[in-house]
Amino acid sequence: MKKLLIPSLALLVSICSTAYADETRYRVPIGDSPSLGPQNAPVTIIEFIDFQ
Amino acid sequence: MGAGPAVKKIRKTYAGKIRLIIKNYPYRYRDYAFGAAAASLAARDQGKYWEMHDLLIERSPKLDRQSLVSYARELGLNVNRFIRAMDGKKIGKAIKKDLKLAVKMDLYNTPTFFINGRKVVGNRPYEYLTKIIDEELKRTGK
Repeated sequence: MKKLLIPSLALLVSICSTAYADETRYRVPIGDSPSLGPQNAPVTIIEFIDFQ
Repeated sequence: MGAGPAVKKIRKTYAGKIRLIIKNYPYRYRDYAFGAAAASLAARDQGKYWEMHDLLIERSPKLDRQSLVSYARELGLNVNRFIRAMDGKKIGKAIKKDLKLAVKMDLYNTPTFFINGRKVVGNRPYEYLTKIIDEELKRTGK
């Protein structure tokens, strides 16, 4: 039992630490910015870019 | 420097499922950043935004004015119209508006992404971005 507990704990920790993007959701006004893809797409990606 | 290749791949992989919006955040201390942003929007006026966008990323950091004009020529744009638009008030204003927004949002790095509002700062590998996109697709049930 103990043998199982340690790996599963490790797994749990690794899942919890997979904190990818910040969970806060920011509102970014789209305005007249260049866009690609359907307006009703389920995922909207706003990219702040610097070409240099 | 943009996250060029990863985002370009995402545009293909997730075509129809994502909407990509570009905001310009040219850093003041970089010589050609503002001009390059202006060039992208000037190409947009002639219906070639994404072509110019991709070309600028590909050719960066060669973004001096002469190069920008040569890219416009390469894309078959009307060069005089392109230069007028690039130097025009409309585009200058649009870039300053984006800059103001970036400052207001306290952004300190490029690229910065907002994926359904979730902030991702800096260049990230393709797999990092797709993981978040997949999570969002799952969440929205698409």
